[in-house]
Amino acid sequence: MGSALDIPLHVKYIQSLGENKDDLVYHLTAHLRLNAVYWGLTALCVMKHKDALDRDEMVEFVMSCWDDEAGAFGAHPDHDAHLLSTLSAIQILVMQDALDRVDVPRIVKYILSLQQPSGVFAGDAFGEIDTRFLYCAVNALSLLGHLHELDVEKTVGYIRRCRNFDGGFGAREGAESHAAQVWVCVAALAILDKLDEVDVDTLAWWLAERQLPSGGLNGRPEKLEDVCYSHWVLSSLSILKKLHWINADKLIAFILSAQDLEHGGIADRPGDQADVFHTIFGVAGLSLLGYPGLDDLDPVYCMPAGLIESKGLRKDWEALPRKTSP
Amino acid sequence: MHGVKRVKYSREALAAKKERELAKLKEYQSLTAEVLARKKTRDLTHESFDLTTKLLQVNPEFYTVWNYRRNILTGRVFFERTPEEINALLSDDLSLTTSLLKQHPKVYWIWNHRYWCLRQVPDGPTEADPNGWRQVYWNKELFVVEKMLDADPRNFHAWNYRRYVLEQMPVKRSEQSELNYTRRKIEANFSNFSAWHQRSKVLTSMWEAGKLDKIRSLEEEFDLVKNAMYTDPNDQSVWIYHRWLIGTGEDKDVLEREITSIRELFEEQPDSKWCMESLVFYQRLLLRKHGKALSVEIRKRMESECLGLLSKLQTIDPDRKQRYMDLAQGGLPV
Repeated sequence: MGSALDIPLHVKYIQSLGENKDDLVYHLTAHLRLNAVYWGLTALCVMKHKDALDRDEMVEFVMSCWDDEAGAFGAHPDHDAHLLSTLSAIQILVMQDALDRVDVPRIVKYILSLQQPSGVFAGDAFGEIDTRFLYCAVNALSLLGHLHELDVEKTVGYIRRCRNFDGGFGAREGAESHAAQVWVCVAALAILDKLDEVDVDTLAWWLAERQLPSGGLNGRPEKLEDVCYSHWVLSSLSILKKLHWINADKLIAFILSAQDLEHGGIADRPGDQADVFHTIFGVAGLSLLGYPGLDDLDPVYCMPAGLIESKGLRKDWEALPRKTSP
Repeated sequence: MHGVKRVKYSREALAAKKERELAKLKEYQSLTAEVLARKKTRDLTHESFDLTTKLLQVNPEFYTVWNYRRNILTGRVFFERTPEEINALLSDDLSLTTSLLKQHPKVYWIWNHRYWCLRQVPDGPTEADPNGWRQVYWNKELFVVEKMLDADPRNFHAWNYRRYVLEQMPVKRSEQSELNYTRRKIEANFSNFSAWHQRSKVLTSMWEAGKLDKIRSLEEEFDLVKNAMYTDPNDQSVWIYHRWLIGTGEDKDVLEREITSIRELFEEQPDSKWCMESLVFYQRLLLRKHGKALSVEIRKRMESECLGLLSKLQTIDPDRKQRYMDLAQGGLPV
């Protein structure tokens, strides 16, 4: 089955998200709303249809998620501030060229206040720690132009302590390597220009072994393939410049087979329900693999590469050359 | 969403589903509006607390409502209660998270609340025994997390939580007992990478603290791994762990012994990708670290064998062909 990426269909799919106010699942996922807007917008940008969603409406929505008590963004109006949604907010505003709407010093203060003595970041005042939040902090500070306020040695020290016997990284000190955590740690190290902390040969080997016979990638040994790992594993390999260590054609075929060609969107695997999370990560993977008709994606920031480059933030990563036809 | 099958509904079925959902939705929206309105006015009443319970049971991922619940507890309830009563409340909240985790074992927000509850346990039962209550909780927590790991031995939330419990217990379990636990998990399933990973952490800690003789311990590990390799040569966990045991290859005898051992397995399993990959890696490691002790002929033969294996690997593991080609180019001049 050789399908192509049905860009117009997926654009319509993203546009339709949030239109059906009677959808129970839509409301049950309000705690992810700002993240979902970022995923949708990034996917549209990569598919070269950025204007499919109204810019001003989106910016107003982002601002409506501002939690003035905390000085940062929550996932939805009236939801509490959190680092995850704060990063998504900043990413959206950067992509929409609306960063001037934001109280930068306040957000920087919020972000820095979440760093723990160990060097890791908490997600919010309730103290959950995870290297994902460390990445959110580093990425956000970088986009805000305030990375110089970060204690780099302390931050890198924590990542170093998360390094495992397989070359990978976990959610916190002692935690098992998982592709998503590998990506957040490697990308954070890339932003901080500390990729020398990575045992590239061992980690790239571990990452390459995520490809299963189906062509899809899993996140850890003996787990199922899932389209979202097309971003985390692939972006990590791209940053380590070992993207050629996996079979690109088979992965492309796998991602394409996970499309919902009736209603649009991409799912975690063929036959499953599509969602915007797997749509962006599938499209991100295709972009890094050189799929034709897509724009370049920066694997460190998971944002349009041209935009990141224009801000002087591009790091030394490699994607496969863009094909002119599938 | 993960693992949710795409379902095709008939028009009637879809209409019926929509109707059912609409009723649920209206209830959910009204409950949400109520709770968030109360939160806005900083309502810390018992009524509000009960409403958070109701809402979280419907949607345990609603992190803002977990926050609100915690704020009610710390903002009012804990001030009004005795330590015993606080203890009982925390116990109830832990039970709430246990029942939610049964249905949602991988939701971060539920685990968070558990961590938070345990941090709130007051000193007690007496001044002379301020950690008594804590110790009881921690023992229970270990029991709960073991049940979760029996249900899903790869659940990293549960493993992370296990590490946290072991670290926080006032009276610590011995690292040897944790080593035994990982062995049980590994022997139940050699493919349990999470258990091998945990083992690597415990061993590292014990070696660094001088609690275990590293050389003898490594021998035991090589035995364990050899057993696993022979039982299931396709299991990547074992090979990745083995590479870690070899480490920087300082010990020439161990390196040569392991190469011989893998070679024997390779004779039984001539298509084993892992045998080939490992023979290349370890022989090149031997050449790099101890090449000077070997004759030129032997060195040439070893590198030649490595190139042959890398060529074969390109055929039997074609998805990763480019890596094997890179490795073939990256060999050492002999």
